[in-house]
Amino acid sequence: MPAPAETETVAGALREERDVREAYAAHAGELYGFALRSLGDAGMAEEAVQETFLRAWRAGERFDPQIGSLRTWLFAILRNVVIDLGRARAVRPRVAEGGIEPSVEPIDEALLGWQMEEAMRRIGEQHRRVLVETYYRGRPYAEVAKDLGVPEGTVKSRVYYGLRALRVALEEIGYDG
Amino acid sequence: MTAERCEWRESLGAHALGRLADDERAALEAHLEGCAGCRAELESLAGVARLMPLADPERFDEAPAPPSALGERILATVAAERRSSRRRRRRFGLAWSGAAAATATAAVLAVFVLAGGGDSGAPERHVAFASLPAEMHIDATLAPRSYGTEIQVYVSGVSSGTLCRVFVRGTGGARLSAGSFRYRWDGDTHAVLSSALDLSNTEAIGIRVGRRTFVAPVTPVSQAGENRRT
Repeated sequence: MPAPAETETVAGALREERDVREAYAAHAGELYGFALRSLGDAGMAEEAVQETFLRAWRAGERFDPQIGSLRTWLFAILRNVVIDLGRARAVRPRVAEGGIEPSVEPIDEALLGWQMEEAMRRIGEQHRRVLVETYYRGRPYAEVAKDLGVPEGTVKSRVYYGLRALRVALEEIGYDG
Repeated sequence: MTAERCEWRESLGAHALGRLADDERAALEAHLEGCAGCRAELESLAGVARLMPLADPERFDEAPAPPSALGERILATVAAERRSSRRRRRRFGLAWSGAAAATATAAVLAVFVLAGGGDSGAPERHVAFASLPAEMHIDATLAPRSYGTEIQVYVSGVSSGTLCRVFVRGTGGARLSAGSFRYRWDGDTHAVLSSALDLSNTEAIGIRVGRRTFVAPVTPVSQAGENRRT
């Protein structure tokens, strides 16, 4: 091990190539998922992830774990990169239609949407299934219960525990709303 | 009574999603009046429920993975930048971190003029642009050539596709274009350009990055070789 540097080593900062490698292994999947979700193009998503790690590497000294985790920092950089890319293209469809102003920026709406989708991937299949059937497909609880061969009360219970599981998953992902 | 133990708790999810039948909803709402635990739980679940419309259920199954080559490409770029930055540090003794705190106006704080590493004795000059926006970095190396001056410009931290136009200003005030290039994230950010103006007559170098212009003076060689390491 090298002798400690004169400046205090910041845990998680991307100082060495090895740090970049580790950060990539830990976070690239999620970053790419969000980039793809917001940009809708695999090539641009790759470019965005690459630029995110390069910016993080160049600014490695500025990472402050007191403010947030490395993951949070990388997502903040990626958010800016995606905005830059969106401006460069300037052809992204607006989320709002019919003249209604969106309540949040499209980029943040994309982030929230991605977080919810990621949370859905993390919860159990049983919970996800009842939420998809009853909420996203809007089917009656009784009908879904019949399909699954369980009492209606069980569907209602799974909706409840599904929402609780989503809440935990969202916290893991970093949603702080 | 806490929400955990309350007989009503399993109805809270359906209520948060607006799916209780009228009579059941009325009964639950009456219960909520007197149960702080259920009220708190409902509020928390409602926060989750508000996000649900933003998600696209078509995406619940896929967890897209980045292409396997991406990681290696990033690491290769990082390694190349590290080598190039070490080389510049060795040759010019620059402290890059000073530029980070600067604001987004065109100004120059630091200009380093040193002899080049070649054995011809002809000095090249290195110009670092300071006071750039935090993410941006620009520096340039100017070398005398028989046709005028070779100008190598290194740019990083601007939007991909940004047009960069380089110009030089002579001691007489004349401004000459030194060409242009486009910044690409995945390509070489190290552009090699040329100008007909002799280096000895070059007073300043400027670069227009998108709609912002940054200018740095090119000062005469006076302390050539001072910072060179052997």
